[in-house]
Amino acid sequence: MNFVPLALYSAALIAYVWHFTARHPAVGRAATTLLVFGALAHTFVVGMQTMEVGHIPVTNAASAISTFVWLLALAYLYTEMTTDERAMGAFILPLAVGLQSIPAFKPVIEQRAEVLQGPLFGVHVSALLFAYASFALAGVIGVTYVLLFKEIKAKHLGFFYARMPSLQVLDTMNYRAIVIGWVFLTVGRLAGFVLAGNSPSYDPRLQAMSLQDPKIFVALVCWAIYSFEAFAARALGWGGRRSAYLSALGFAIVLLNFVPVSYFLTNSHNF
Amino acid sequence: MHLFLVGISHRTATVELRERVDFQTRGLASALGALRARGIAREAVVLSTCNRSEMYGVADDPASARLAAVQFLSEYHGVDRSEREPHIYSSADGDVARHLFRVSAGLDSLVVGEPQILGQVKEAHGAATLAQTSGPLLHRLFHSSFGVGKRVRSETGLGAGAVSISFAAVSLAKKIFGELKGRSVLVIGAGEMGKLTALHMKSQGVQQVTIVSRTMANAVRTAEAIGGASAAPWHEMTTLLGTVDIVISATGAASPILTKAQIEAVMRPRRNRPLFVIDIALPRDVEAAAGEIEQVFLYNIDDLQATVQENLARRASEVQRAEAIVTEEVEKFGAWMRSRNAIPIVVALRQRFDAVRRAELDRLAAGLPPETRERVDDITRLVLEKLLLTPTEQLKQIGDPEVVSAYAETLTRLFALSTPPAETESARPEPPARSDRRVEPFVRPQKR
Repeated sequence: MNFVPLALYSAALIAYVWHFTARHPAVGRAATTLLVFGALAHTFVVGMQTMEVGHIPVTNAASAISTFVWLLALAYLYTEMTTDERAMGAFILPLAVGLQSIPAFKPVIEQRAEVLQGPLFGVHVSALLFAYASFALAGVIGVTYVLLFKEIKAKHLGFFYARMPSLQVLDTMNYRAIVIGWVFLTVGRLAGFVLAGNSPSYDPRLQAMSLQDPKIFVALVCWAIYSFEAFAARALGWGGRRSAYLSALGFAIVLLNFVPVSYFLTNSHNF
Repeated sequence: MHLFLVGISHRTATVELRERVDFQTRGLASALGALRARGIAREAVVLSTCNRSEMYGVADDPASARLAAVQFLSEYHGVDRSEREPHIYSSADGDVARHLFRVSAGLDSLVVGEPQILGQVKEAHGAATLAQTSGPLLHRLFHSSFGVGKRVRSETGLGAGAVSISFAAVSLAKKIFGELKGRSVLVIGAGEMGKLTALHMKSQGVQQVTIVSRTMANAVRTAEAIGGASAAPWHEMTTLLGTVDIVISATGAASPILTKAQIEAVMRPRRNRPLFVIDIALPRDVEAAAGEIEQVFLYNIDDLQATVQENLARRASEVQRAEAIVTEEVEKFGAWMRSRNAIPIVVALRQRFDAVRRAELDRLAAGLPPETRERVDDITRLVLEKLLLTPTEQLKQIGDPEVVSAYAETLTRLFALSTPPAETESARPEPPARSDRRVEPFVRPQKR
């Protein structure tokens, strides 16, 4: 089922890249239309899975990635519609397509472990996935900020200069995405903390919930980075390019934690 | 019915001569009125900008109309004919459409791709419509040209990028800060260049402009000239550097007045907010190494000039695409013009058929009640329109005037037509291509 959104996201990716290079308005509209259809198809897929298993499909890495891509597509579409700015699509869609390939080609049957019952689990995972979608947007905005910054600084006003919104707009969008992401990250982490504390301790995965577990450790590093960026960076004169680099770095760590660490390293989160 | 054009532009005449034949001085309405009074053209539009004065017209004989228009240009402006005749260009029919389409697209402008010309072409047509000198042919021609202008702007990069130093500075500032509303500018030096750039920034919504100069009186004078700006003494420059967003430096100093260390010192209290420094002085006012500071964007006159040159080159590379659009639209317009060749014979055919219809209606429906007669009139007219629809479309699609005239001759013989006089055709509205009118089913009135 995850193939249909993947195909539509791939078609949207081609259209966004084409629009970015050729800047033909009709191609831009086609790109947005394809993405809207991709997100709708994805909503249907997530909805069907939710009905099938009785909760949002997030309990294993593959289904969590699919749900994350769905939230990312929705968050990006919201940003595009509120800012009327399509340039970022060419940077977001490769991420969506790359990640959606995992659940599409390697689906895992959703099974909810006993320890994952209760409303707190839903808050934990949904808030974190939404935070990751925000950080993905911030990371991509950060990369585009750096590309544009370099062109202006080097006085070679070319490809990105003609296609990107202003540095100020990118910086504001980046900051907004970081703050929203930080709020959800914090809520998600607190819910996870409470959930682990209240759950029966016979499950070996719960016993592994400590700072020594790579997933939890990296997650705390992320939280520290985003806390710094959201509250301290600008006050210390770390706005602009440095903040953009931080967003990109933060998201690289999120991605690392989300895919390879979840699949291979963690002992606590392999549900 | 032919189009003609007579004009003078930056390509053919100096600014002195262009000034003397400028129609704007006495107003377009007056020029259009004078043209109409002379009866030179059936339809006329006058386009007058600082780079061109052109008359577009419609006449039966374009050659004599062009001569009369050239004569009019001399007499109206009181310029000796021999003096300006070598600078005048004229053309007819398809060439007129191509010229106007190129003008609207900005291809014939002094700065290729400049956007103002499309508005000026619209104004010219608006003035002619108001003065009732524009008819169906020029109406179609000018509306097609608006479409060409829009297409070229949206489908090519002909109008993209700044092509003057001050525009380049403003567009860079916008790329750094987004909207310039609420931003503040510091101008160092009370010279003309700094003042012009500051004026440009102000027109883009900059909130606060402050001038500093070694001579306070000069700073005050420049601030007054800009309007809404303030002047500050020279020693406050460093303090101001800590608060403004944009610095325009244009002094006549022999050595740099702003060093890297000075700017570095103000960046800390600014918390590294971006600072855009435009150094348009020669020799330069700002140490080049200042550009290395994070969040300082330093552009000197050569950098801005290079941007302008790049944009001009980019525009030049788009010219071919824009010309292709113009050619496509000229062909479309030509097809429309050719379809008009068939109008006299179509009109004659319809008149003949309608005359027969009316005669028969008078003969056969004389005794019917008025309501019934009206219905019969409607139905027969609709039948006629439907019957004539296909021949009308077929005739209008024939491009070759000779083939049209062969058809016209045949139809004239077959139906004993009398071709209407030529002068009525352009003013006459075209027959509807397809009738949307619906006729209620005929109901025989009940006898009382």
